[in-house]
Amino acid sequence: MTDHSRFRLSRRALLAAGGATMLGGHAARADGKTLNVLSHKVHQTVLGTGDGDLMKDWRKANNADIAFTTFDSNPLQDRLFREASLAETEFGVGYLIDNRPTSQIAALFEPLQPRQDKSPIEDFADIAPGLVRGMTIDGKLIGIPVRHATQGLFYNEALLEEAGITAPPTTLEELVAQAKKTSFTSKAGTPVVGMVLASDLAVFPVMFARAFGGDFISADFKLVPNPAAMESGLETLRAMFEAGSLPRSYATTKNDDQVTWLQQGRAAFTVLPFARFAQLNDAGQSKYPGRIKAMEFPVAAALKGKTPMAAVVEAWAMAIPKNAKDKDLAWSFIREVSSKRVTLGMAINGNGPVRVSTYADPALQAKNPVAAVEARALANARGAFPPFPEAARAQATFLEEVQLAVLGRKPVKEAVAAIVTRVKPMMPA
Amino acid sequence: MRAERIAIPLGKALAVAAILLWSLFPIAFIALSSLKPGQEIFAVPPKYVFTPTLSHYVELWRGWRGFFAGLLNSVIVTAGATLLAVAASTCAGYVYARHGGRLLNASVAGLIVVRLIPPIVVTLPLFPIVNALRLNDTHAVLIILYAAFFVSLGTVLMRTFIQQIPRELDEAAAIDGASRLTTLWRIIVPLALPGVLAVSVFVIVYSWNEFLFAFIFTATRAKTAPLVMSEMIGSIDGVDWGILFAAATVQLAPVLLFVLFMNRYLVAGLTAGSTKG
Repeated sequence: MTDHSRFRLSRRALLAAGGATMLGGHAARADGKTLNVLSHKVHQTVLGTGDGDLMKDWRKANNADIAFTTFDSNPLQDRLFREASLAETEFGVGYLIDNRPTSQIAALFEPLQPRQDKSPIEDFADIAPGLVRGMTIDGKLIGIPVRHATQGLFYNEALLEEAGITAPPTTLEELVAQAKKTSFTSKAGTPVVGMVLASDLAVFPVMFARAFGGDFISADFKLVPNPAAMESGLETLRAMFEAGSLPRSYATTKNDDQVTWLQQGRAAFTVLPFARFAQLNDAGQSKYPGRIKAMEFPVAAALKGKTPMAAVVEAWAMAIPKNAKDKDLAWSFIREVSSKRVTLGMAINGNGPVRVSTYADPALQAKNPVAAVEARALANARGAFPPFPEAARAQATFLEEVQLAVLGRKPVKEAVAAIVTRVKPMMPA
Repeated sequence: MRAERIAIPLGKALAVAAILLWSLFPIAFIALSSLKPGQEIFAVPPKYVFTPTLSHYVELWRGWRGFFAGLLNSVIVTAGATLLAVAASTCAGYVYARHGGRLLNASVAGLIVVRLIPPIVVTLPLFPIVNALRLNDTHAVLIILYAAFFVSLGTVLMRTFIQQIPRELDEAAAIDGASRLTTLWRIIVPLALPGVLAVSVFVIVYSWNEFLFAFIFTATRAKTAPLVMSEMIGSIDGVDWGILFAAATVQLAPVLLFVLFMNRYLVAGLTAGSTKG
């Protein structure tokens, strides 16, 4: 009997010790303030660590720590919206992609204009106005832009030289011709395609349509505002596929393939955000370090000098969920991250800066050889399409028709007509 | 006849070779790529002879400390889920094996139906509940969910194993004054150990690799290794394939060794009851 009691006592003691340890852990965490941030890993990385921690002064001034929870883009947005729809969330700041906030989603986040009026961000007018507009939904500012990824044309200088090309293209027609010329077997014995593009992203057909002055859905929600330009864009892609300037595996090519194909010398051209410049030229990953260059995507010859290219840009912004606990601390964090000092620091760490003045900084220009060209492209850039509830389904439908056209399974004219017919019911009223 | 004698073993050998190639190629590709210099991972034509490097593992350690914290979380969650699932399955399996009745027998079908429900169906409604219980981002929530998901299959397996143990042993223990719990712990469990191990293997493999529940219900403190790996495939700043393959190898190694070691119990679990009657 005694033994039995002793056994029960020790089991209870163990449970009690476990409980005490857990409570102790919580108490320790409760000593200082913690701002929980929901973001992509890259947003955390560009803020630096150790001696290069761009937020160390903020931490000290606010006696607060920053706890990042990071996910990849789509899971991150999914998690952020789910957290924001609860009665209360632990997250003070969430990073939001500009093509996601519909009216319903925007309603989950704190309107920031009153905070901006009361405790303003340094030189707010310096932040690219187009990016600020993208975060203004139903007249309410719900996010402060923090990063952009603007699409540019990348080319492998060494492969162009091998093909006898002395200068990169200045028009879309020249690009098509050069892509055809660089579809060959290189001296290294690698089969090269002129251009590699992912087939599951709307970015690329939209870029080709815009090169002719067209679009998929304009900022004011006009669906295929210039059908002839869209047809020209898709005709160009189809001709490239037929000529072997796009991979035979076009229908299954993904975004990551674009990077590895360019790094391995398997493609001469691709379209990617300028921020990929460092990765494409990384000696640890690329067979052509220093030989992969970037430029603005060229417009068609007929538009050259008349209409600037509107490259596709994707922007991220910092938002405060309405159900966040300490919104003042969250706003303080946003103000600090948006300051000129931190914006420059993040840009040097590889972030696409949202402030126009940051591009003029000599430190950034020294670190990022494509800063000037990126700044030019950003000036006219806009999102692939504006946010609306059925945007994901509209994009999938658009891509389905684009693939049929590019692979020669449907006449281009019919595909463009089908895009209009099928996407129209998904458009907002 | 002579041709047949050669053709049949040759055909079998080729079939086994094809299955081995199909199964082992992805694992070998990942493990070898983790040792290749970054430039050579996707080289065309492929490089089969290369100077191995541990640089990706060093970079993984330097740049992705969170991965190792995630591994520790995976260990905690896997151990907890396994203990809970095995304990619950053994108790339930014992009851099913030793007691009859139409309702009880019919409920076995219910257990199998529960196992067929896709996890995503229960995941989203659970999210606000888990939040309300303040279990979000705790090891406990994953331990409970993983165990709950495997208790049904574990119970069916344990029932089959325990049914093979003669009831006379229970009766002899009862005559000697043993309680039900003592009989289960001292007589049944040691004899049904292969079943316990088989259930453990299933739960361990599942818990170690699970992504969906971990993604939905954890954030920082209980984040498991597969979640950190999914971040490495992030689409914004590009994938460093060498580091990703190094992480995949580190994540794969323990469970691969464990499954190889426990292989015979896994087979025993899969074939339990197949020769009955």
